[in-house]
Amino acid sequence: MRLRHAVAALALAALGCRGERAEPRTLRINLATEPPTLDWNLATDGVSIIAIQQLMRGLTKLGEDLRPEPDLAASWDVSADGRRYTFHLRPGVLWSDGAPLVAQQFVDSWQRLLAPATAAEYAYFLFGIRGARDYNGGKLADFAQVGVRAPDAATLEVELAAPLVYFPALVNFMVTFPIRRELVERFGERWTDPGNLVSLGPFTLEEWRHEYRLVLRANPRYWAGRPPLDRIDAYMVQEGSTSLVLFEQGLLDLVRIPPLEIRRYEGRPEYVRKPLLRGYYYGFNTRRPPFDDARVRRAFALAIDRSQFPPLLRGGEQAWSSWIPPGMPAANRELGLRFDPGKARALLAEAGVDPAQLAPVRIVFNSDQAHKLVAEQVQAFWRDNLGVRVELAPREWKVFLKELANDPPPVFRLGWGADFPDPDNFMNLFTSYSENNHTGWANPRYDALVEEAAREPDLARRQALYDRAQRILCEEDVPIVPLFVTGANFAVAPRVQGFVPSAMDLFFFEKVSTE
Amino acid sequence: MIRYALRRLLAGIAVLWVVATVTFALLRVVPGGPFDKERVLPPEIMRNLERRYALDASLGEQYVDYLRRLAHGDLGPSYKYVGRDVADILAEALPASLELGALAFALAAAGGIALGLAAGTRRDTAVDRAIGLASLVGVSAPRFVTGAALILAFGLALDWLPAGLWEGPLYAVLPALTLAALPLAYAAQLTRAQVVAVMGQDYVRTARALGVPEPRVRRRHVLRNALLAVLTYFGPLLATLLTGSFVVESIFAIPGIGRFFVTAVTNRDYPLVLGVTLVYAAMVVVANLAVDLAYAWVDPRIRVGAEKS
Repeated sequence: MRLRHAVAALALAALGCRGERAEPRTLRINLATEPPTLDWNLATDGVSIIAIQQLMRGLTKLGEDLRPEPDLAASWDVSADGRRYTFHLRPGVLWSDGAPLVAQQFVDSWQRLLAPATAAEYAYFLFGIRGARDYNGGKLADFAQVGVRAPDAATLEVELAAPLVYFPALVNFMVTFPIRRELVERFGERWTDPGNLVSLGPFTLEEWRHEYRLVLRANPRYWAGRPPLDRIDAYMVQEGSTSLVLFEQGLLDLVRIPPLEIRRYEGRPEYVRKPLLRGYYYGFNTRRPPFDDARVRRAFALAIDRSQFPPLLRGGEQAWSSWIPPGMPAANRELGLRFDPGKARALLAEAGVDPAQLAPVRIVFNSDQAHKLVAEQVQAFWRDNLGVRVELAPREWKVFLKELANDPPPVFRLGWGADFPDPDNFMNLFTSYSENNHTGWANPRYDALVEEAAREPDLARRQALYDRAQRILCEEDVPIVPLFVTGANFAVAPRVQGFVPSAMDLFFFEKVSTE
Repeated sequence: MIRYALRRLLAGIAVLWVVATVTFALLRVVPGGPFDKERVLPPEIMRNLERRYALDASLGEQYVDYLRRLAHGDLGPSYKYVGRDVADILAEALPASLELGALAFALAAAGGIALGLAAGTRRDTAVDRAIGLASLVGVSAPRFVTGAALILAFGLALDWLPAGLWEGPLYAVLPALTLAALPLAYAAQLTRAQVVAVMGQDYVRTARALGVPEPRVRRRHVLRNALLAVLTYFGPLLATLLTGSFVVESIFAIPGIGRFFVTAVTNRDYPLVLGVTLVYAAMVVVANLAVDLAYAWVDPRIRVGAEKS
């Protein structure tokens, strides 16, 4: 009897607390993991960027159509040769401590980003600037030789090594955001701690309980006006299913839906789906037989029926046979090899490969439920349509990466998400000199087309260049087989208004409000 | 007694040194490094990173440097969490694990002994069989199953308790139960077996024959002797529970150190792996020392034996 009373009291207490917790004008989201850093020069990952995007702004921002639009830069000019960009800063922008934004703060940031001692992983975002790569590699000691300067407080001049038509999209990325050098020097590595961190975006940092929660506060000095929310509580609930239960208990307002639960949410008003600029592909090691023969690679690509992946994975995937993802400029759904098992077998025979004699083909992927499902499906396609034996080899993540770098497996799975919404970010990946090209494939024609497209300001001509490059990549040489693009799936509480998901998987809460 | 404790303490420090060395070596054998990423870094950036974290030095130099820092209590910087020291990370995460672990330990110890005693002294009755069945389930169910079942029942179906987060006593109920279930059941089985064995001893029969009241027989003669074996289990158990559980802390979103046992390895965050391993090893050493001392206190034969040798 006493026990029953205790349980009832406990339950009442729990319910009592629950009612108070949903404070008005507070948004409770799940980051899933601890952001490795809030230092925007050093951050590289998808969690840190969620927090940093609320705290900071860049020269440009991305519009609905993913084109760069003015943000901290009110406008910019490009020289006739495409090598010189002049950004004119928006007047009257203040940091959260009241100090004004000046152009030198961008120069300071870029110098810190590129300095070898900073060891910033994403320093290469600015390698397009004259002298930047040499400065980062220690070959150039004087930063004055690097092509960036602030002739006055409102002007930032950038000189590129070669024309890059997508440069305004690059400076929307967090590593290029301005810094307050004097604060970084005063606080050292602690400059991003609450109390030390000064920012100029819609929110400021109030609390950072590591591995648990970040609390952000509305910034009354934000140049575009104080946001409707008072505060954002960003929790770090690792387990997707726990996060969803907390959403259902009313303790979180915005969470990602784990793949297995998506079916349960489809059709409900809380469900939000967004296709991402993120491609999923299978790569071949083109230096080793049998995949050193383009006909064999084409045959294996033709034997895959991409339409089977979306119903298998159910995460909002979209079958896609070319490399530039839909939603990105120059994407083209007509390109790539379609499912044609008859043609696949003919090509294999033409290449002189007898499927019965072929040693088992090894597919290597990092251990994960979705990657395993895809690999099993591909295994079935190649067995049924080509008659080849396939073995699956899951690997721990870092072991997998090491193998890709040292001795790429015959077939491997990888993905790529857009850092900035320009086709160059995808197409550059398979140039002969890209560190991320694990296929061993090199085609000078492809390299030349991608380089030319990066300099080409005319959109129609650019599209034509990328179409030709994509034909080489996905129809002729086929070092990779693009399979599908992925999606993001969210549960959003009814009390949240104005949440717009982004194809880059970024989050902007400055226009979000709660009841 | 003090000399005995001191000698055990020195042995403990030697154990920690061995653990640090073996972990250091194993980490360098495992393929993949801290800065191997999906987006491969240009060579000059890789060199800058290796220089920053002194990974460009020879392995021998790195090892000597590590031990030298360790002797000063410096566990080094994390490679993953930029600008944070491993010591700070552990110091911030340890309290939640300690609170949860202590709670679960108290639950497991008190509950396990009580149930074991109840079952052992009522051998072959319905009570004994019910406790036996329950403890069998408790020992067999993995934590992620127990946790999920508790969340389903008390979180979703009844909506009495939060299914996660770490905001106060209410939030500790489900994770503590999940963490305690297995050791509680095991302690109950262990206690029951010991109680049954002790109940058949001559001195128990003698005590009863002398007319000692039954509750006193059970407390003084049965329980005290039965606990000796159970104590051996409690030492390492305390160390394990206090250093957090990856499964329980992940399921319930508790900011403890349990998660680092897995994520630090996945990230190849060498200093953090060494840090959590050493914390765990130190806890085990201390807990075992405490048990041995408690042993010596409970059973004078052990103390006398140690001093003679």
